[in-house]
Amino acid sequence: MFGQPGALTGAFDFLQPGVSQAADAAVSHINEAGGPLGAELEVVRRDTAVDPQEARSVTTQLVENDDAAAIVGLFSSEINPLWNFLQDLQMPIVTPWPGSTFLDTRGGDKATPGDISDDEWVWRTVVGDTVHTGGSAVYALEQGYETLGIINGNTEGERSYVDGFLSVYEANGGSVAEQVEVELGASSYQSALSRLFDAEFDAFLVSMPQESAITALSDWSDGGYGRQPILSDTLAQQEVIDQVGSDLHGAWVAQPGRSGPSYDTFEGIYSEAGDAAINGWTPPSWDSVQVTALAIERAGDTSPEAIQQNLGPVSRGDGTPVSTFAEGKEALANGEEITYQGAATPTTFTQHGNVFGAVSINTAQDGAFTQTTQVSAEDVREYVTEGEY
Amino acid sequence: MGLSQNVVFGLVTGSYIAIAAIGFTLIYGIVNMINFAYGEYLTIGAFLGLLAVTMLPVPLPVAVLLAMAGGGLVSLALARGFFTPINQTGPVPLLLTSIGLGIALRSAIRLVAGRSARYYDTETVTYRFDSLPDLSVGSVDLLGGFFVTSEHLIVIGTAVAVFVVLHALLTRTDVGIAMRAMGDDESLARVRGIDTQLIRDSVWVLAGVLAGLAGVLMAIQTNVSSDTGFSHILQILSAAILGGAGSPYGAILGAYVIGLVLALSTAFLPSGMTGLSSAVAFVILVAVLLVKPSGIAGKEVREA
Repeated sequence: MFGQPGALTGAFDFLQPGVSQAADAAVSHINEAGGPLGAELEVVRRDTAVDPQEARSVTTQLVENDDAAAIVGLFSSEINPLWNFLQDLQMPIVTPWPGSTFLDTRGGDKATPGDISDDEWVWRTVVGDTVHTGGSAVYALEQGYETLGIINGNTEGERSYVDGFLSVYEANGGSVAEQVEVELGASSYQSALSRLFDAEFDAFLVSMPQESAITALSDWSDGGYGRQPILSDTLAQQEVIDQVGSDLHGAWVAQPGRSGPSYDTFEGIYSEAGDAAINGWTPPSWDSVQVTALAIERAGDTSPEAIQQNLGPVSRGDGTPVSTFAEGKEALANGEEITYQGAATPTTFTQHGNVFGAVSINTAQDGAFTQTTQVSAEDVREYVTEGEY
Repeated sequence: MGLSQNVVFGLVTGSYIAIAAIGFTLIYGIVNMINFAYGEYLTIGAFLGLLAVTMLPVPLPVAVLLAMAGGGLVSLALARGFFTPINQTGPVPLLLTSIGLGIALRSAIRLVAGRSARYYDTETVTYRFDSLPDLSVGSVDLLGGFFVTSEHLIVIGTAVAVFVVLHALLTRTDVGIAMRAMGDDESLARVRGIDTQLIRDSVWVLAGVLAGLAGVLMAIQTNVSSDTGFSHILQILSAAILGGAGSPYGAILGAYVIGLVLALSTAFLPSGMTGLSSAVAFVILVAVLLVKPSGIAGKEVREA
């Protein structure tokens, strides 16, 4: 059994249906292929409400009471404050959620899969903020937006997003004309916008959670301020366009890409499993379940240590490329080494348990966000130092 | 945009805080309790209005009336069910009951409505005033052009109407005069033949009606969620205390001071400190109370 702490309620509950459907589709597909070690896989999902204390309780319950073999969830805002607790737990956490730069050099097996003494037990199947904010900054500069205004919330996640963006943007010639930090949940951001738009800039970056961002962008629309909006990764939601209206058209969001080698395989199976919309965290959810099940199959064991030691080997190297658990199970039965080719990214775990991939640019047009282009992994890699991510 | 625009924003914020703060301060002045559950009355009003607009559906003005009626009924029912029975036990049990009731109400709202925000579908029309005479003083733009939206006008206009009606109620009606008498000296009012329980009930209803109205006005500006009232209760409390606790006129004054400070501090704080506008409002609150513990308006406005 895999435990999945998730946002059944709370700040990111609008993203959970896609993540849940992807995990459930992966479990069905794995069980149709005979299941890991011939057993039927199950996902038990519990609500953390994106609250660290609740996440601690839920994770403990999944491990202690539900006997989860691995955890396939947890957000940055839960992992970062619970870091020491999660390390003491010594349970593989392969999560599709976290973007925090905190994880850039934390997690994974340090490229020594046989030795778990130096391991840190968190792995993520989604590209981190360093990657997709880098992609966003690269795209902004390519579009000629050399001067920026910023409005961001005053929490760690929103600041981390801005810091990640600026580390690439400013290092490559971009400059910030004005940055206004605001309290989240306010009933109005009109004063903050008035201040921001007194400055001269080409585009403005909005790094806020959805509800606050809708308030701020509605105020922006009412004020007729214009200029190019660049939105943080969670804002590519239909609700944002529906509430803000047509003034938002042309705004773009950089999200974790959907460019893994097995994306088409994933999409075909996923679309038959339900009607939840695919978001940036949906393919990584599929990948987290697939790669963890493959680690069990290769290990021949469901102990936390065995899974931890096999996540690297099934994702790296020159083994037979496999797109699904079914293909991997067959290859392993034939005595071959395997390399899982993910849906979101190639799912080649770095020494820090991270993945690297393309960044998708989604633009608001014709009443919806649609993917208009991608910034390739190679282009982003130019700005993200290997070994430090 | 400059000072003039931020004054508009401050007046809008001050307007809906003022409407809520009047109800809050009436409870304090006449029932003699700080009701921390009051924020949840706003949330209930906002959700009732939203339900009326989306499910019945009715025009927004009708939904506002339903929200006000619902707020009044909820306020009276909770007073009768919880506060009146323990009214004689002193202020601390009343305070603790209101805190507990607020938590319970918020949880119940969350259970029914979920945590996600919901939105009123109101069409915004923006009015621009770009051709005003240039009255710049140094780098401060006084009237160099600003905009107001239809929602701004609704909020400010409604607040002005509420103030006029409230003034008439307190000065021209038997109930209002009795409320003021009870606020000054309940024992004396009772001796003079005022039905104090009836007046208390009237205050609960009036406070709930104002909370329902304020809840809808807040929600059409932004959204409504289970945390709408809770996230505003400190501003409402601050406005009431700043103006002079128990004084409805003082609450209006305090609310506009809070609204203007929030707007202007965001606009003029140094870069890197713009997220501290609420803190500035509370620093000013503390500073005023250090100088004048009875609040800005103090006793003399209450007696006006």
